[in-house]
Amino acid sequence: MEQVTAVRTTPRAVSAAWFIGIGLVIYALLLAGSEWLVYRNGRMNPVYKADVAAGDFDWVILGASHAMPLDFGNFNKEMQRRTGKKILNLAGSGTGPLYARFAFEHFLTRHRTRNLLYVADGFAFRAPVWNEGRFTDADLMARTPFHVSLAGLLVRYVVMGGVDPRALADYVAGFSKLNNRGRFQLDVWEGEASFDRAFKLSPSAERKRVEYLYPPVADERAGSERYFDVLADLIGIAERNDVTVTIVKMPLPPRFKSLLPGEATFDAALVSLAGRQGVSLIDWSDAMPDPGFYADTDHLNRKGVMEFFGKRLQPILSGTPLPTPF
Amino acid sequence: MLFTSLSFFLFLAATLIVFAWLPRRARWFWLLLASLAFYASFGLSNIVFLFAVTFVAWAAGRLVACERPAIRKPALIAGLVLILGTLFVLKFYDFVAAEIEPLLGSVNALPRLGITAPVGFSFYAFMAGAYLIDVYRGTCAAEHDAGRLALYVSWFPKILAGPIERAGPFLQQVPTRLRLDPVLAAAGLQLVLWGLFKKVVIADNLAPVVDGAFRIAAYASPMELLIAVYFFAFQIYCDFSGYSDIAVGLSLLFGIRLMENFRRPYLALTTAEFWSSRWHISLGHWFRDYLYVPLGGSRTGTLRRYANVMAVFIVSGLWHAGLGYGVGWTFLIWGALNGFYQWTGLATRGAWRWLGERLPRLAASAWLRVLRILVTFHLILVSWVFFRADTVTQASTVIRRIGSALPGLPALAPRYPFTVDHAAGAALIALLLTVEILDERRPMRERLAAAPVALRWSAWYAAIFGLLLFGRWRSDAFIYMQF
Repeated sequence: MEQVTAVRTTPRAVSAAWFIGIGLVIYALLLAGSEWLVYRNGRMNPVYKADVAAGDFDWVILGASHAMPLDFGNFNKEMQRRTGKKILNLAGSGTGPLYARFAFEHFLTRHRTRNLLYVADGFAFRAPVWNEGRFTDADLMARTPFHVSLAGLLVRYVVMGGVDPRALADYVAGFSKLNNRGRFQLDVWEGEASFDRAFKLSPSAERKRVEYLYPPVADERAGSERYFDVLADLIGIAERNDVTVTIVKMPLPPRFKSLLPGEATFDAALVSLAGRQGVSLIDWSDAMPDPGFYADTDHLNRKGVMEFFGKRLQPILSGTPLPTPF
Repeated sequence: MLFTSLSFFLFLAATLIVFAWLPRRARWFWLLLASLAFYASFGLSNIVFLFAVTFVAWAAGRLVACERPAIRKPALIAGLVLILGTLFVLKFYDFVAAEIEPLLGSVNALPRLGITAPVGFSFYAFMAGAYLIDVYRGTCAAEHDAGRLALYVSWFPKILAGPIERAGPFLQQVPTRLRLDPVLAAAGLQLVLWGLFKKVVIADNLAPVVDGAFRIAAYASPMELLIAVYFFAFQIYCDFSGYSDIAVGLSLLFGIRLMENFRRPYLALTTAEFWSSRWHISLGHWFRDYLYVPLGGSRTGTLRRYANVMAVFIVSGLWHAGLGYGVGWTFLIWGALNGFYQWTGLATRGAWRWLGERLPRLAASAWLRVLRILVTFHLILVSWVFFRADTVTQASTVIRRIGSALPGLPALAPRYPFTVDHAAGAALIALLLTVEILDERRPMRERLAAAPVALRWSAWYAAIFGLLLFGRWRSDAFIYMQF
């Protein structure tokens, strides 16, 4: 009886092994194709940018979407031309300090930089969705090239940083890349399409945008403290790598700024952190009140970026002594 | 923890491993624990409802099973009122209060419950109700073990959206047939795979087109609305039958056989066939056995029979009213419209029979068969508009706009800016229909089993990698689990 069972089960087991084996080969081929597409259509993803960039840099820019217009419409090249400095913008949509630190740590495995410009936004220091949540964003992970070293870094973020283990599983298995509906499309952020547009003021759009950026959180204070600690870590990593850190707040339309909850508290905490860490902090949030400088409720358009760069940022990036911190 | 989530796959793997490791007599208890954990993942408070329904069914079932007529019937009525009454109140009280409050004037504000039926309640309430009636009729023995009855009510593959399995066949399997059988497991995995494909590849890729058009029904072009209505017919089918296939397939992994819930419904020749033996079969049988037959069924006078049919469809409409597309009058109209189709079918049945006898070659022709399938499909299609629309006004807007533009559509269609989503949706529907037509002639499982291994494996790889490449895995619900 046992012999009969063995005769029947062995071909079934062999057959199953073949089925799984062939399936794994197909999976590997599809994954390789997806990875190739990540590079072919890559553009805005911070990890991709760090991968394809060559050499060392004078400046790396980190932050959320408010820093992204500095790289729209080839403006980064323009900044490099006018300052004579090599600049790499690793800002990402909705990326708080946790993801910024992740991107910067990855950057340092391949390059060096003399300076780091961190663009700080109040919303990014408040909600997990802009920090731990970014790692489970399939759209972001689908555009993130695979590296064993990055998987190792992600393990550390899962174990120490509270990132969902599913993000690691997704990254290692490449599921988001295989399942990416925009696999054949260029990795551009939707905001870039309106870079040359001037925003028509809309109180309801501003309200909705603020609601989106500031979702309800369980413990706002604890979250904020945690993400300031992450920023302090980021500054520590920079210092250990001889990188000078400058924190800036980007210009915002006055009415939009007035809607931001807890902005004064955030500013005070940022000043305190900058003081403790001995880094420069410049608040330009009131510097450009004209709505004509904005492409939407809160992002600079081309005109705004040119004005901002020419009058504010260029001296910093060029190495001119900083104005008095606020 | 939806069937389409990573956490569910991990849960399933853990449940299967422990199930296989446990001695057979302990397995049912493990499955009960797993089912409770699964249901609790949708909210701990849901468990209270589940326990309450199970307890009422168990206690009332014991009383119904006793010999004394003075106890049996009152116990049955009390059990049904408690279970189905709770379902009715949770579903409709707030809606009814809001509807009649204006009639009472502002001073007579009615209190609101503010709670809705927990996920899957409609399904397990109907299962518990069926159990009580079966015990009363003597077609099912009363279950003495409350735990086993709880497993019947809470069995995780079916708790959210059925099939509305009968207690008798289910409970007979519980003590003896719980095993990991490779043949059953292979069949189960195939069903799970096909169910997932229908849900995440077909239904969820059609959904954005449907949702987009219905969201702006008053402004969308008639062509856009027409596409949305067609797509919705296949979205709802693939969403729901996908769930059922997964439920039946998962059960097979544990050696449990559930009833078939869908049988290629859009190939039905009549709306009567659609509802009685092809679409949501378990619910159709429930209404037949526990509502239509007790009302007198077909053995009464003509008028009474017509009234019974309409009653069944209106109650079915009410049952479908729920969170999915809101509680509203649309579901009542949807039920009534389908009842009206049955009336028409009943009224013309004699004439069709007479015609079939006079023209046997025409009656047997494939062309007539195709025509009947198309007519039936389009009748159901019209009723789906009421099912999907948020309000009666929206439904009538959709029908009016499509209707008024119909004569010009052939000219408009070539100039319509079809998108990739439209093309992909049409291709997926064509694929589904091809599989269903082949399956109708000879079950796909048999075809694949008889096919060369290269072809068979290619089909499975296509399904698996179709899921990985084209599936939309971010959906947060199956439509029917919200009813």
